[in-house]
Amino acid sequence: MSYKIPMGPYHPALEEPYKLDMICEGETVRDVKLHIGFNFRGIEHLAETRNYFQVIALMERVCGICSNIHTLTLCQAMEQLAGHTPPPRAQYIRVIVAELERLHSHVLWAGIAAKLMGFKTMFMTCFEIREKVMDVLQAISGNRVNYAMNRIGGVNRDIEDPPSILKMVEALESDMAHTIIPIFTTSTTARSRCAGVGVLTHEKAISCGAVGPTARASGVGQDIRRAAPYAAYSEIEFDVPVQQEGDVRARLLVRALEIMESCRILRQALAKLPPGEISTGDAKFAFITGTATSRVEAPRGEVFYSVSWKENARNPSRVHVRTPTYVNMPTVRWMVRGARLADTPLIQASIDPCYSCTDR
Amino acid sequence: MTAIETIPEKLGIAEPWVEKGGVHWLNPGTLSVRALTAEMNACHARFVTITAYQLPGNEGFRMEYHWDLDGRLLGFPFMLSEKSIESIYDLCEAVDWIEREIHEEYDIDFAGRAYEPLLLREGDKLGVNLREEVAR
Repeated sequence: MSYKIPMGPYHPALEEPYKLDMICEGETVRDVKLHIGFNFRGIEHLAETRNYFQVIALMERVCGICSNIHTLTLCQAMEQLAGHTPPPRAQYIRVIVAELERLHSHVLWAGIAAKLMGFKTMFMTCFEIREKVMDVLQAISGNRVNYAMNRIGGVNRDIEDPPSILKMVEALESDMAHTIIPIFTTSTTARSRCAGVGVLTHEKAISCGAVGPTARASGVGQDIRRAAPYAAYSEIEFDVPVQQEGDVRARLLVRALEIMESCRILRQALAKLPPGEISTGDAKFAFITGTATSRVEAPRGEVFYSVSWKENARNPSRVHVRTPTYVNMPTVRWMVRGARLADTPLIQASIDPCYSCTDR
Repeated sequence: MTAIETIPEKLGIAEPWVEKGGVHWLNPGTLSVRALTAEMNACHARFVTITAYQLPGNEGFRMEYHWDLDGRLLGFPFMLSEKSIESIYDLCEAVDWIEREIHEEYDIDFAGRAYEPLLLREGDKLGVNLREEVAR
């Protein structure tokens, strides 16, 4: 006999509201239906009512975790339409802030995953480290969540003392190399809760169009930083961690390895930060009629923006946002089929879902 | 020839790719979206998204289909005078949510598929152009 168990829209395992209707037989999940839209704010439509300064502030609020990525992607698209190229120093600062944001996002996820595994001490450790990442972001931008770093043609704030930021990054790297990485890669708790659980096969990852760490944990090796480099990524060396198993542990390992790669990118970017201006300095912009797209590798995978403008207009005529969770979330259905009911909170969290991004 | 260069010939399109705004554009002409999807599947391109634009007055809609091929973003615009286009859901699983979202927001019918609410709730009326509703 099968029965339906709803999880959400408000549930201790969910960071934001969404809903899974699970069809179970005994303790085994046979199928699931996903319901989103609880955070729908009509942001794409609202963007059409905002001018080219206001729209940046608006899109920064699509997501509370990867706020910088949204303004970066939007600004890159608007720069194509306005004919502006940010100076090299701005491109490096964009990389630095993007990688710090990836660090704080991955460490936040590690904490939540630890909590769902019942590994509460690890949860506290991760959040302590995340605070330190946010301290670095605050030292650069003055803000801890919405950094307001990107503008058309560059960035709003300089990194005036790169060695001091480098020192903070090295301390962070040491913290993570001695706590998060060894614990997540070797602990029995992490292994027993994650290995072989919530498998997304390589074929399903491809057919669902999965992106980011979710796809890379199923052997799909694409990373937009490598495949279609933007900002200063083409001048920086880094590896793209890929795992083949497709289970929760593989997704955990990919993110753990990406944390170390982000530190490697940060060290290079801070050491190579070129001198010069941080923006083109313009305060007024003339857009051409047309559509421009931009893609960025956010902590959860590829973010896509398509921005349309009409000449002489102050507002965009269309802004379309396709976030990584939007394509990763449908894969949860395939991950939880056949899983134990008790594993579903951890499985759904293993894609590092962002519901605000998804709903917009 | 690289995979991307052979695509126009395989699709029977004489025009070449045009690179603009970060996208390699190809005008599909009279080609159906389903034939295009079959070719994208054959060359292992990853579906990215569909962007719908409502054109002014009674000009209809422009639907831009995007795939990624080895890091290159491909774009195919389809002009709709009627509010309908063939669904590609049975050919490309990844398209499910975006087809449902566009149906909810623009009242565009993706022929050949059933809908369930995505951003809306069960019981809400599907197939209403929400933008026109807001303007009203």
